[in-house]
Amino acid sequence: MTDYEAIIGLETHIQLNTITKVFCSCKADSWFDPPNTNICPVCCGLPGVLPVLNKAVVEKGLLLAHAMNAEIRPISFFDRKNYFYPDLPKGYQVSQFDQSLARGGYLDLPVPASASPEKQAYTRRVTIWKLHIEEDAGKTKVGNKRRFIDFNRCGVPLVEMVTGPDLRTADEAAQYLMRLRQLLRWLGISEADMEKAHLRCDANVSIRVKGDTRLNPKTEIKNVNSIDAVREAIAREIERQIREVEAGRRIEAWTLEWDEDSGTLKKMRSKETEADYRYFREPDLLPIRLNDEWKQQILADFPELPLARRTRFVEQYNLPEYDADILTSERKLSDYYENTVKAYGGDPKKVSNWLMNDVLRMINEQELNPEEMKLTPTSLAEILKLVDAGTININTGKGLLQKVQESGRAPGEIVAQEGLGLVSDDSAIRAVCEEVLAESPNEVASYKAGKVTLIGWFVGGVMKKMRGKADAALARKILEELLH
Amino acid sequence: MELCDLYALELVRLVRNRETSAVEIVKSCLERISQVDGASGSLENPQITDKDKESVHAFISLTDDAALKQAVEVDRRLAAGEDAGVLAGVPFTVKDIFCVKDTFSTAASKILANFKAPYTATPVKRMQDAGAIMLGKVNLDEFTYGSSNESSAFQPSPRNPWNTSRVPGGSSGGSTASVAAGEAPLSLGTDTAGSIRQPAAFCGVVGVKPTYGRVSRYGLIAFASSLDCPGPVARSVKDAAAMLQVIAGADEHDATAAPLPAPDYLEGIDDGVKGMRIGLSPDYFRITYPDPASGELLSQPLPPEIERAVRDAAEKLAANGAEIIEDVPMPNTRFGIPAYFVISRVEAASNLHRYDGVKFGLRSEVPTLDLKEMYKFTRNQGFGLQPKLRILMGMYVSAAQYSEQYYRRALQVRTLMRRDFEEIFEPNGKYHLDALLTPTTPTTAFEMAAVYGDSVLMQYADQLTVPANHAGVPGISLPAGLDKDGLPIGIQLLGADYAEKTLFRVARAYEMITETEEWRKVKPEVLRGRS
Repeated sequence: MTDYEAIIGLETHIQLNTITKVFCSCKADSWFDPPNTNICPVCCGLPGVLPVLNKAVVEKGLLLAHAMNAEIRPISFFDRKNYFYPDLPKGYQVSQFDQSLARGGYLDLPVPASASPEKQAYTRRVTIWKLHIEEDAGKTKVGNKRRFIDFNRCGVPLVEMVTGPDLRTADEAAQYLMRLRQLLRWLGISEADMEKAHLRCDANVSIRVKGDTRLNPKTEIKNVNSIDAVREAIAREIERQIREVEAGRRIEAWTLEWDEDSGTLKKMRSKETEADYRYFREPDLLPIRLNDEWKQQILADFPELPLARRTRFVEQYNLPEYDADILTSERKLSDYYENTVKAYGGDPKKVSNWLMNDVLRMINEQELNPEEMKLTPTSLAEILKLVDAGTININTGKGLLQKVQESGRAPGEIVAQEGLGLVSDDSAIRAVCEEVLAESPNEVASYKAGKVTLIGWFVGGVMKKMRGKADAALARKILEELLH
Repeated sequence: MELCDLYALELVRLVRNRETSAVEIVKSCLERISQVDGASGSLENPQITDKDKESVHAFISLTDDAALKQAVEVDRRLAAGEDAGVLAGVPFTVKDIFCVKDTFSTAASKILANFKAPYTATPVKRMQDAGAIMLGKVNLDEFTYGSSNESSAFQPSPRNPWNTSRVPGGSSGGSTASVAAGEAPLSLGTDTAGSIRQPAAFCGVVGVKPTYGRVSRYGLIAFASSLDCPGPVARSVKDAAAMLQVIAGADEHDATAAPLPAPDYLEGIDDGVKGMRIGLSPDYFRITYPDPASGELLSQPLPPEIERAVRDAAEKLAANGAEIIEDVPMPNTRFGIPAYFVISRVEAASNLHRYDGVKFGLRSEVPTLDLKEMYKFTRNQGFGLQPKLRILMGMYVSAAQYSEQYYRRALQVRTLMRRDFEEIFEPNGKYHLDALLTPTTPTTAFEMAAVYGDSVLMQYADQLTVPANHAGVPGISLPAGLDKDGLPIGIQLLGADYAEKTLFRVARAYEMITETEEWRKVKPEVLRGRS
């Protein structure tokens, strides 16, 4: 059987999370608002209006370009992309064509063993072919022989970012989107929620016989609104193309639409010729001039990026990749982790265990923001130290997490006030041990007859009477002594 | 002299001194309008009567009630000792290409005939904030596409007050006709290739095309966005300067409006031209146009009367201390119209996309469920001949396979034309001119219907004005006598970027020098026989 490989490129549209739109002062995000409520003469393209650029859009675009290792153009231009559609009120979209904000760029995508056909992790370099700023169009709903247009989305700022045909599997495409989403949130430039169309993705897919260097006709998959759906749609399309080629048929340059409900691809249209958008420079806007001063100002607080931090966590804290990956999934979480490690000063892996098992569950269940938790990295470190010192046992420590989060009080203070500290007074424990043995003559007899495993049962009895605060090791020692 | 015939600055003085009131002034203007304007332009397209042929027809919509109301407010403010603005009580008209809140803003096109703007254009707002009173919206060529006003969808189209069988010029013909006929002392026009200066020359008034970006375009329904300039029309240089003062300046709604404060244009305006360097260029004393049969470019000298008016002005300025520099080369002038044909059409076609019947303006009533058909019916019914021609040509020259050959080349030519101006105005250059003195137009006002229909020839009426639009530099047209038919001749002063103040000073000097000349006493035909 012939061995095929898939050639995949992704075209993403990223909605920037600016407060206002790109060319007017209307509110940018309308997810929760009724149609046509965040609109004005400018974004509705009324006669005589002019666009005025929102600088925050340039700043956020620049952050992304820098993170993608792209070259920033000191001067870039806006162009008009001309076409007719009812939800495009001016009849042209203000976009960037040949001299866009950034040029080139790449992302070194780590592909985990779980997403690799050979079950071995590797890195895929994904090149960036296009990265530009543009305005969004409105939304059209067709129903009952009528069209309903919502102009709220007109003028919402987007970055269009297109990769080279560098991805080879549906899993790689999904990994790319996951990493992109992580990066966008990390940089704080987009909510990157695919379900809310903050992050939109069209996939270009073709196949070729492994070893070929030529590119074959591709199909474009549209309307996919989750990462799982992208993976699924691409996988289906690769299968279809292989089937077609095996059957001796040619692949035609169709545009396909993913139908979420049936999990199938439907043909939207054939692409005979490229549309002519008659691009020309937008005369209503000045070029974007990114001088060094402005650039430096924007990049002054540029953060360590997630993939770099992940590598560093592995090296510096000796964490397994799995831990490092989870702890760097979100910027605030990774800051939280690192601050705890610093405050604690002990084994970073121990911090990771507490964080991933218990604290992360609290965060997820209670939808907490790591940055604003009352259980601060300092409190968490203090709890760890209390356990290490034997002042409290692990269970008490874990119970403290929620208590600190609820009250905001210091862990040590709670331990003292509620008497949660371990009892290590020999005579107090000895008295309870004697009590337990006196109450259980049958078990004592069994033990003495040789069933020594009952020692655990006796310890349990002591702990129960002392409501968990006894030093279990000490209790065991005393019990053994008494039973001797 | 009636109030409506006075200069704007004179009216300001009278109102301030309480020698008259804003209401009296507005009434005087409305009275004049009722006497000379005749039927306003409308889509009805009635048969033109003999009486129509003797009227000015400057207006599309008269906002007389609002004007009187605003006049009352101005008078109240003055009586209360409040600040009523620097142009308090001065009426003005607005070319109907500007959006004004709650008034029809038609662009003289059927496609926008029912469009009421929900906001007011920045220059109009600035006039109103300065106490000036809008009398109404005046006619123009459809979407400003023309040089005669005849292409308006609102007929009858304006006529030249100096001779009503002649065109007023265009596209700001309604503006210049209304000012020339004493219907208002000021008007707000727009100039994309000469659309203020050419009709100002034809109607014997002062018209200013400011530097690109000097006046905000917000609210101006776009023709060619990289060339459009709002500007003043007035009966005197000082009035034009005072009006520019009010409308100029940065605007948060227009990124291309220069963030540069306007200087005091009236300060030193009477100081004369002593020591100023004023150039004359042979390239502005001939016109180049395509032979209709062969398409070859032909060149011919200007009518002697027009060249004489310019040389006469130069001599008078020289006699008053200016230095005249002859033979200033402006070699790329002749490419102005061909380059304009391409650039303006590309921008115009794109700017017209929004008139699609979806959101505002006309939607065809032909029933269809097909979107493309709705577009076609609407645009076919709504647009007149000129927009259609410009869309066709704009689409053609910006298509992927032609844009290199046409659009890119036109932009290169534009750069060359800009360089012509940079070289003559460069302070350390060979010429270091303060101004270039040229004719405004190759001819005086032509007969109605004489050129209309020949879109190419019509465009060549802008040959001497369009270079300033390509280059972005300011220009001013001012009256300089009458031709043998008694029609006004206009001369033009061109300057460096933001050199309006210099141009006003030269223009004012010429005005003072010629103040007592006989032709200045001649009134436009429609006003003759009045006391």
